[in-house]
Amino acid sequence: MSTVKKAHFVTGKGGVGKSLVAASLARALSHQNKPILLAELNETSFYKDFLGLSQISYKATEWKPNLDVAQWSPEDCLKEYALHLLKIEGLYKLFMENPVSKSLIQIAPGLHELALLGKITSSPRRHGPAMMHDQLVIDSFATGHFLSLLRAPSAMAEAVQFGPMGEQSRSIDQWIHNPEFTEIYIVTLSEELPITETIEMFHQLKKEFKLTAKVFLNKVLNLTKTDLETLDSSIKTDLQNTFADEENARKLLKKNGISFSEIPLITSIDTEVITKKVSEVLNV
Amino acid sequence: MFKVAPKTKTLVCIGTGGVGKTTLAASIAVGLANAGQKILVLTIDPSQRLAQTLGIKTDGELHQVKIPTDGSGQLWAGVIHHQKAFDFFIRQAAGKTGSDVEALLKNRLYLQLSGRLSGSQDFTSLVTLYRYVASEEYDLVILDTPPSQHTWNFLRAPEKISNLFHEGIASWFRNMDGEKTGVFKKIINLGTTQVLKALETLTGSQFIKELAAFFKAIQSWQGHLEEYVMNCHRILTSQSTEFLMVTTLDPSRLHEAQKLSREIRTQGYKLTTLVINRVPEWTKLKSHSSSKRINDLLGYYQSLESDLYKRLTHFKNQLKVYKCFELRQNSDDVKNLLHNFEKMSSLD
Repeated sequence: MSTVKKAHFVTGKGGVGKSLVAASLARALSHQNKPILLAELNETSFYKDFLGLSQISYKATEWKPNLDVAQWSPEDCLKEYALHLLKIEGLYKLFMENPVSKSLIQIAPGLHELALLGKITSSPRRHGPAMMHDQLVIDSFATGHFLSLLRAPSAMAEAVQFGPMGEQSRSIDQWIHNPEFTEIYIVTLSEELPITETIEMFHQLKKEFKLTAKVFLNKVLNLTKTDLETLDSSIKTDLQNTFADEENARKLLKKNGISFSEIPLITSIDTEVITKKVSEVLNV
Repeated sequence: MFKVAPKTKTLVCIGTGGVGKTTLAASIAVGLANAGQKILVLTIDPSQRLAQTLGIKTDGELHQVKIPTDGSGQLWAGVIHHQKAFDFFIRQAAGKTGSDVEALLKNRLYLQLSGRLSGSQDFTSLVTLYRYVASEEYDLVILDTPPSQHTWNFLRAPEKISNLFHEGIASWFRNMDGEKTGVFKKIINLGTTQVLKALETLTGSQFIKELAAFFKAIQSWQGHLEEYVMNCHRILTSQSTEFLMVTTLDPSRLHEAQKLSREIRTQGYKLTTLVINRVPEWTKLKSHSSSKRINDLLGYYQSLESDLYKRLTHFKNQLKVYKCFELRQNSDDVKNLLHNFEKMSSLD
């Protein structure tokens, strides 16, 4: 049976282009002739419209050769997980269709997060339905929420020490901590706010999970001083600011010992063109 | 010039992360206060620079902000403190019945509920909004909603919390630590026991125990809690509340905004305004440069803007559409926020 060998998590501050980078990364990986799954964790799909798919669901749908897309909403993951744990369909129905347990599940801390990571690590843990993909690319949550996602298994293992759930939480946590399996990418823009968040996140991941994230500096204009000289004033000031931001971003990342690669701003509004071009510059 | 309807008391700013919602909410607040109104702006997670500009701290208190002109207007600003807001909500509801709230406030589940859950951040923002709108001290209260995956998380927050306090759920747990005899046996039928068991398998017995303690603590003022949640919810659907959606010049975001605005209006929320934020000032310039890179960039922004104009027809008959320029490094002064407000231009 084939096993999922790697999970690539893509995170970053809201609005930096996570989803686009995740899609492009999946595209780049799919060129190595192994099946790749691009999964989004949203309740309302972003990729369906963005990638122009006729449909998207919990089950994988083909986007390109060797590249499928799926929408793993926390709710669906929990459903699969609950069914797996409770075994009996009837009991599961009684449980899931009950308004009381429904609202309790919504507020139970970390349960959705645990179910998501349970799904992501299910193949190497040999739990749940088999997956035929070699690697996963996860379009994950924005920075703050992403950390609570990663923290969920250990928090749960602490709260529930015994029984199947405690056991599973510990095993999920181990896979998440495994640098052979878990790869994290932080996408950032050159502006001060996302850069600050990226640096904090990088150090936090290292400290808490011993994982070294890769950083993508997105939408870089890469103008030269000569380019700027050719402009008249109003554009010039604006672009000069961007120029300064980019210089500053590189300096700060280097100073913090963070290795990063740059993704130039693709001057197109066509998703197909953008993901193709970005996949070409991503070095995987 | 940007305006809200004269009878509007609440302005709720919605939009996905990274569109500049917080700065825009602050700019509107400065602009309207400067024009003579008494404005309160409530933000969630301001950047350090914006907090400094407004002179606000993350202590959950309101602070008065000095505005550029000496008119009759006043500007107040505050950062929502979620734990304090949830405590306030519990104390408000408990206050009427005179119960002791301390046991509840120490319950671990309560702490997690109020401090950790993303759903509760949506709810505490709403509680804070209700608190100050109900005080009737301001001409307008502006709320910058929490960064969430989807606006629905915010709009459905009262429903989620309300389900939790619903009488039916609470009655399950109240007698849990009593022996299972007599009346209690009748209440908990076989189905309930199985559901609790299943929940225990999923969440651990500790969670169930705390849940039981939690419901025990709130049982005497459940009605008041529900009433308070309803009042919070009413603000969202009130005729004196306007919603403003912030988005940027990006085809996929504009497409999302288009879908969302339709849904929101269908559900009966009063979405009146769309702001296209961070539009570079120079997109309209037909400047020619000898640099290929610069010309590519100009062409790119021009194509973004023409994509926007194509989509505008979908918005225009229902919403007021404004565009707002990129506010950059220079946002460290209230005057610049005012400048930002004044440069918001209608796309009619």
